[in-house]
Amino acid sequence: MEEEAIIDVEHLTKDYGHGRGVFDVTIHVHKGECFGYLGPNGAGKSTTIRHIMGFSKPQKGSIKVFGIESFGHTDEILGKVGYLPGEVALPSGLTGWEFLHMMQGLRGPANDAMLKRLLETFELDPSGSTKRMSLGVKRKLAVVAAFMNDPEVLVLDEPTSGLDPLMQRRFIDFVLEEKARGKTILISSHIFSEVDAMCDTITIIKDGIHVSTIKASDFKNSDSKRFLVSFTTTAEKERFIRENQNYKTTSKTPTDLELDFPKASSSEVISTLAHYDFTKFNEIQFSLESYFMTFYKENKAFGGLEGIKGGATHE
Amino acid sequence: MSEENVIVLDHLTKDYGDERGIFDVSFSVPKGSVFGYCGTNGSGKTTTIRHMMGFLKPDQGHCTLFGLDSWKNSEEIKKKAGYIPGEIAFPDLDSGTDFLKLQADMLGIKDMSRAEYLIKKLQLDPTARMKLMSKGMKQKTAIVEAFMGDPELLILDEPTTGLDPLMRDAFLSIVEESKAKGHTVFMSSHIFSEMEATCDYVGFIHEGHLLKVLDMREITDRTLTDYNVAFQDLKNYDLFMANHASGPFQILHGDKEHLIILVETPNERIKELFGELASYHIRYFSEKKFSLEQCFDDLLEEKE
Repeated sequence: MEEEAIIDVEHLTKDYGHGRGVFDVTIHVHKGECFGYLGPNGAGKSTTIRHIMGFSKPQKGSIKVFGIESFGHTDEILGKVGYLPGEVALPSGLTGWEFLHMMQGLRGPANDAMLKRLLETFELDPSGSTKRMSLGVKRKLAVVAAFMNDPEVLVLDEPTSGLDPLMQRRFIDFVLEEKARGKTILISSHIFSEVDAMCDTITIIKDGIHVSTIKASDFKNSDSKRFLVSFTTTAEKERFIRENQNYKTTSKTPTDLELDFPKASSSEVISTLAHYDFTKFNEIQFSLESYFMTFYKENKAFGGLEGIKGGATHE
Repeated sequence: MSEENVIVLDHLTKDYGDERGIFDVSFSVPKGSVFGYCGTNGSGKTTTIRHMMGFLKPDQGHCTLFGLDSWKNSEEIKKKAGYIPGEIAFPDLDSGTDFLKLQADMLGIKDMSRAEYLIKKLQLDPTARMKLMSKGMKQKTAIVEAFMGDPELLILDEPTTGLDPLMRDAFLSIVEESKAKGHTVFMSSHIFSEMEATCDYVGFIHEGHLLKVLDMREITDRTLTDYNVAFQDLKNYDLFMANHASGPFQILHGDKEHLIILVETPNERIKELFGELASYHIRYFSEKKFSLEQCFDDLLEEKE
């Protein structure tokens, strides 16, 4: 039996004119999946998300959450889906507690245990006035509000934007725990490392158009290593290249050489290198950023994944 | 005088009660440098910045920009320093263009060519109505506003929030351009990679207290390299540990269960280390980078 998507966006089109909007976007988020939604600023991520929440009416296509048409059923959707907007506009004059209680009312039965866990995880004290809270603290409040009723589905628009590095890591761990509990989560983000840490499927959109959908397993390539070796002289570098033609190498400067090898050959590489004069040996870590940037770059013809699928990109 | 300080904070204190605020914060930012300001949410970054701009009056100590006391000369400071606030509240004008023109008038900027250049570089469409702008667009507009007068000092509160990676790169190159002209940049950030790419100094603040100002040369000019080495079996692990209990290579950490060690070597002895390792069976090795993130973690850990 084909597993039905919990979030089902079919051929969504919303044309704001001047090439702005989203055009024929289809995404499926399945139960228990963490789905990453990526794209440059203005690509249409928030527009898609607002349609999922039922705030906007599609011109074409359909959007369903749990089989319910989103538009016209915003209240029902809000009761079932934990939502974190990209821009948090808190009503003024409230304390953090008042805000949370207000949101609890909108979002179905309260779950005090969950709320307690969230406040502890994110070290949030909601007693103060929201007016006095810094941007980061307001974001924390919004994260807590999205999760506190323990909804089955979460739709999070750039959830970690403005969170400090410590809280970003807490957030990732928290999402992974929730995923393990079977939650279905859609996250938009600009931070590749967190997408890498959390997401099973990643869809990239650009200028409102679906560019690519990638499974996490496609880009996780931990079996190979890349190091930059600085030889003492060009001659020494040339000698290394000549005598080790079985290695994949790329000259970077007259003395610097990029060296790729399978992790399993580590011992052999060490023994080999010990016969040459070099001064530096630094690892070049796999960078998801450079991998995804290929999709982001302007005026790039996208022929699907083929161009870059062959191997992980390093930076 | 080469070591002219454009920003000087001298025992700056603002006590909001309940241990909130900033306490006895002192540092200085030399002319022509880029200073990153890093800390947990609510640690006092924005409070510090608002003092610099003269929006807040310190309880104790003071802050000077170009030798001018920020609080006493706030009007002049606002003209001299390009500023991006942490939370941008724009008036609801018909377009970004209107807004930028208005700001230019206020700042006495006649030549809009720099603004044009920045708009292009950031791929900003300034014709959109301010209220309808996305977060990224607002951030871009704020960047254009801060840089369009080509000020000698820039004070930026999380300037890249909400920018996509392409635009973050564009922003960083704008910062580089200012730096190349000898301008001084102060920016708060949560993103280590962007601070590593641009900053000469990074100040760490935690719960209102400045923990450290790191000279980035401590990272870029580091003379030691750390490697994680995983051995094939316990015999190899034990043998290496026994043979290298002392010597030029320092074993920082040994994980017997996973047969992994963390070894530190002076850069000039890396080859020697390899010569040694060549006689052991190794599963894999990797470099443990000494990074800003590492430094931040270490500082917070010390604090705990």
